[in-house]
Amino acid sequence: MEMSRRTAAPVKRRHLLQDNPSVLWFMGLLGLFTLGVTVLSEGFGIGLISTNLVKILGMTLCLCLIAIAMDVVWGYCGILSLGHFAFFGLGGYAIGMWLMYARTEIVIRESLAGSTIPPTEREVSEAVASQIFSVVGSNELPLIWSFAGSLPFQLAMVVLVPGLLALVFGWLAFRSRVTGVYLSILTQAMTLALSLYLFQNDTGLRGNNGLSGLQNIPGALHVPQSVISVWFFWASAFALGAGYLLFAWVVSGKFGSVIRAIRDNEARVRFLGYNVEGYKLFVFTLTAVISGIAGALYYPQAGIINPAEIAPIASIYLAVWVAIGGRGRLYGAVIGAALVSLLSSWLTGGGAPNIDLGFYRIIWTDWWLVMLGLGFVLVTLFFPKGIGGLFDYLVRKQ
Amino acid sequence: MTTLLEVSGVSVTFDGFRAINNLSIAIGEPELRAVIGPNGAGKTTFMDIVTGKTRPDEGRVIWGAQSVDLLKLSESDIAKIGIGRKFQKPTVFEEQSVRDNLAMALKNRRGPLSVLMWHATERDAARILELAAEIGLSDRLAHRAGDLSHGQKQWLEIGMLLAQDPRLLLVDEPAAGMTPAERAHTTDLLKRAARTRAVMVIEHDMEFIRRLECRVTVLHEGSVLAEGSLDHVTKNQQVIDVYLGR
Amino acid sequence: MPRPALIATLALCLLVLWPLAPLSAQSDTPLQDVLQTVQEQVASPSRAQVGGVLDVLQEADAPGTAEFLTRWAEREVFERPEDGLFFYARDGADRTLTLIDLDTGEDVAEVTTRDVNQIRVNAGVRREIEGALVTFELLAPDRARRMAAVRTIARSPEADHIPVLESALSEEEDGAVATRMARVLDLLNARFASDSATRVAAIDALSGDITTEARRALNQILSTGSQFAPEIPEGTNVARIRTPGADLDLVDAYARLADADLVPPRPGRNAIRDALRANVSDGAVAGIPVHRLDTEEARREAYRLLQDEGIVPPLPTQAEMDAAVAQYVFFDAYLEPDADVTTAARAALDSTRTSVGIWQFVSLSLDALSLASIFFLAAIGLAITFGVMRVINMAHGEFIMMGAYTGYVVQTMIPDYTTSLIVALPMAFLVTFAAGVALERTVIRHLYTRPLETLLATFGISIALQQLAKNIFGTQARPLTAPDWLAGSIAFNDVASISTIRVAIFVMAIAFLLALLFILNRTRLGLEVRAVTQNPGMAASMGINPDRINMLTFGLGSGIAGVAGVSIGLVAQVTSEMGANYIVQSFMTVVVGGVGSVFGTLAGATLIGALQKGIEWFNPGNTLAAQTFMVLFIILFIQFRPKGIVALKGRAAGD
Repeated sequence: MEMSRRTAAPVKRRHLLQDNPSVLWFMGLLGLFTLGVTVLSEGFGIGLISTNLVKILGMTLCLCLIAIAMDVVWGYCGILSLGHFAFFGLGGYAIGMWLMYARTEIVIRESLAGSTIPPTEREVSEAVASQIFSVVGSNELPLIWSFAGSLPFQLAMVVLVPGLLALVFGWLAFRSRVTGVYLSILTQAMTLALSLYLFQNDTGLRGNNGLSGLQNIPGALHVPQSVISVWFFWASAFALGAGYLLFAWVVSGKFGSVIRAIRDNEARVRFLGYNVEGYKLFVFTLTAVISGIAGALYYPQAGIINPAEIAPIASIYLAVWVAIGGRGRLYGAVIGAALVSLLSSWLTGGGAPNIDLGFYRIIWTDWWLVMLGLGFVLVTLFFPKGIGGLFDYLVRKQ
Repeated sequence: MTTLLEVSGVSVTFDGFRAINNLSIAIGEPELRAVIGPNGAGKTTFMDIVTGKTRPDEGRVIWGAQSVDLLKLSESDIAKIGIGRKFQKPTVFEEQSVRDNLAMALKNRRGPLSVLMWHATERDAARILELAAEIGLSDRLAHRAGDLSHGQKQWLEIGMLLAQDPRLLLVDEPAAGMTPAERAHTTDLLKRAARTRAVMVIEHDMEFIRRLECRVTVLHEGSVLAEGSLDHVTKNQQVIDVYLGR
Repeated sequence: MPRPALIATLALCLLVLWPLAPLSAQSDTPLQDVLQTVQEQVASPSRAQVGGVLDVLQEADAPGTAEFLTRWAEREVFERPEDGLFFYARDGADRTLTLIDLDTGEDVAEVTTRDVNQIRVNAGVRREIEGALVTFELLAPDRARRMAAVRTIARSPEADHIPVLESALSEEEDGAVATRMARVLDLLNARFASDSATRVAAIDALSGDITTEARRALNQILSTGSQFAPEIPEGTNVARIRTPGADLDLVDAYARLADADLVPPRPGRNAIRDALRANVSDGAVAGIPVHRLDTEEARREAYRLLQDEGIVPPLPTQAEMDAAVAQYVFFDAYLEPDADVTTAARAALDSTRTSVGIWQFVSLSLDALSLASIFFLAAIGLAITFGVMRVINMAHGEFIMMGAYTGYVVQTMIPDYTTSLIVALPMAFLVTFAAGVALERTVIRHLYTRPLETLLATFGISIALQQLAKNIFGTQARPLTAPDWLAGSIAFNDVASISTIRVAIFVMAIAFLLALLFILNRTRLGLEVRAVTQNPGMAASMGINPDRINMLTFGLGSGIAGVAGVSIGLVAQVTSEMGANYIVQSFMTVVVGGVGSVFGTLAGATLIGALQKGIEWFNPGNTLAAQTFMVLFIILFIQFRPKGIVALKGRAAGD
């Protein structure tokens, strides 16, 4: 659609934004939104928006980021991955390890500071380990926590762990030409295996307790949450903006052309001389890395991460958001993710008033999922292009 | 004229059905060749084997002066080495513009990273315009490929083949569903292409083949029945029996 | 009636009734009367005479004799001096006693403690009585009582039981009871017999016996204790010598010496720290500033300095510890001193190992089979909709749940579990069949050309149904109770057993397999289904209505899910989320088995069931790990066999 606006005149190097006015619109709106939230926040503004709401909005931005990643891998490249939330969760775990370790270490050092002789490194690390792992009946630091005290290392893990997992898994799956629903089921199996693995107490990530207290930022332990929440909101907005630009660039040029061609007829693309598997792997891994980053920003705002977050259902919800928003257009994914997740937290968080029909009382917590499920079926049946499709319709009418 | 592609002793079996039976066929460069044969003679399977879609049970497929073994390459590598294929059913990317379809086929580096960094150079843009003129779609460059007529899609696909600048073109029933005027245009296209490269055309339509004025290979039950000029093979009694007789 | 006359009458009665009375029946003579025949010996028992009393009691075998013997030994029997009758008693108010009749168990009179004599039994007599008690039961005419007595002995084996059991065995006529007695006698002899030869013989007799009791007895003989000594004492039955540094941690070895006060204890890290803390002066310990004491080395150095000043107990060096430990031999010794016995026991235990292993494998296979049956039941409906129609039905799990809840509702209406189960199975089929047809007509029909969107749409249905179930039935698990005849378990021996309900599910899975094979291969519907699967266009042109076939196929698949739900509900919890627990595994079963084939699903279910149980075997008690590895295996499996175990070939495979 963006393509059709190109003229037949000799092609000059054109700027990405010139080709995609929607990107400009999006960046503008995102900037305004960020400004608005900042001004209304408790930490930096007039306090009209509660800290909790700032967190919810920041988390929603992270969900929008993973949603556009999902849109690229599914809407553009045609891989219905039912496992991208696994990457999201891994990013969260990677940063969560640092948050939890570093904060516990600070607390432990403070408590040991009063003793007559200073603690040894080993005593500190043992105290930290027993503090963190007593909940799973252990007081030893698992091997994967060896560098948990190092922020650069764990930041690298945010990118590397989801990226490597996606690379290995994608290489195996695409190499053997698993496609369509088989691939979907396989990705679902991947996320199931991961969540089952993390549910075990002895895998070093605290089993079903997960990692908690992530909202306390080491080095900023005395900064109030009202300020931290806005920091994270900014970071999330920046990440979403950068992610949006990146993906808009990826899908707009010839690369976008090729991956959409792969979505529509991958055999034909092969006969054009393109290594389809390489492209799929590239897109799968890139989106996995972005998902990991989104997760790393999300969970410090949520405060807690546990293996249930990675359960297969989460990734299916992700597909639902993108489908409702309209796949194959980045802003559609953002609309879908924001709309559904905000509605969901409004309706299930008790924010919405229950409706008394006289003979029956509609309690939103009970009926929201029923509505979402059926609404989603209706969207699939009657609006396969989702809400984004409405925009197309309006644009065409003008 | 040197031999470009040499297929020798190739056989392939699907569930006990022998689709290709000890087939040997060669084509030089440049050359225009028509392949005819009744339904189930193995024409499409032959193309599948050359392009790497189907692996034969036995036999050899050798390419070019360096004698590259095509059976060891993937579909995309075979395409990159210089073999282009047009399918029986026109397969263009309907959701994308004619320009994007052609741009994708242009002979450029195919790796994900180089494609990501690609920008249309003056030369690429000129080549696209040139190709569009050749296939008669100059005024359609910005249109969705899905909006083209059937014949135009066939041309676009041939245009995409030419954009790849292959040394061998495999063309499966290019004239199917075309008006007589479109057929004439298609014939010209193929004959022009065959001046510099090898072109192999599978076709049912005898009139179309007659106009190509080229060497003809007749396939039957997965192997070559006859080869020569159209007049020569149509006089062959066996060919009359199995093919023209029906 | 004078007492002799009474006895005479009773004897006469007995004589008359003898041929009629079954041998096992106890005599009808009241216990009190029997006791009165030996009144004096009972009232003041002595070791010399108690044997005679016991003989009389055993002869008469009056009801309640066993209880009397027990209470007699426990000094709970009282004599009323006026008439010489015996009573049990219970404490009443104000130091009174309520006398209880021996035979009827009724309260007889309220007396003070001075009105009756408590019969005092000394230790020697008591042992006699207890022995007799066992003998008494072992020789009881009733076979069940004899078996019960043997069971009691096996449960708490004691050396004293050996002679009793031996004599009982010599008189035992019932083959089964004799076998059992001989086995228990072996168990006793193996552990308690006085001479080594008897013990070894008994142990040899136990070899190859895989019962828990036999293996426990052998293991008890083989129990060891860790010891150390300058050199191994004479007559020690050594199981294993431990080398410090190799199979015994040096620090542990030293700590054991320290525990025995043979060497000074070695201060640990915490002890060193505490010692340093206690000796801080002017911000330094032994001249080392405290801020430098944040490494192990610095602390040890400071400690050594303190040690040199004689303030703290010495910290042994590595060499000192080595030297101390080297003076002793560390070894595990059998508690049983007789080496012949332990050798025989080891051999006997080893000989059971193979058969125990085999039976454990059998047990594991049964577990795997039962798990495979559940997977098969859960997946087979999906195999039909996914395999035959290429439709991904994410709501399949919710159909399973729907079936289980149908079973629950039926059970609340029909209290008899057997009847309700018989009603629930077809009901569940009908309910989910209808739901499946409705889903196919309203949603799936419109999405046949868009398989990925079917996946998403049915997922929408799935979350809606799950939440609906939650709204209707609540979040807590609902019971689906199996009838009593399915409640027990079938035990092959102490190692392998399987619960009846799992056998029933296995049978159900087989029945489903056969029914499906019949429907697909022998009926018109099956023919049409196969035709539509292989070539819908051709089938339509031959007058088969693909719409109708798709509808029926989908209904069939869903209906089967419902019935599977009832079966699964019998072994698992019925919750709104139960379907979700099975859906991913069901998909994997179908994909691993090979899409579109009933046998493929069977193979997939068997493989996955066996795999999961197999992995659990290596990592017992960790079902999660087993599931993780299983999923990983499946991911790899699909790499190498993307079309599953039973792969369809040619056009039907739908490349």
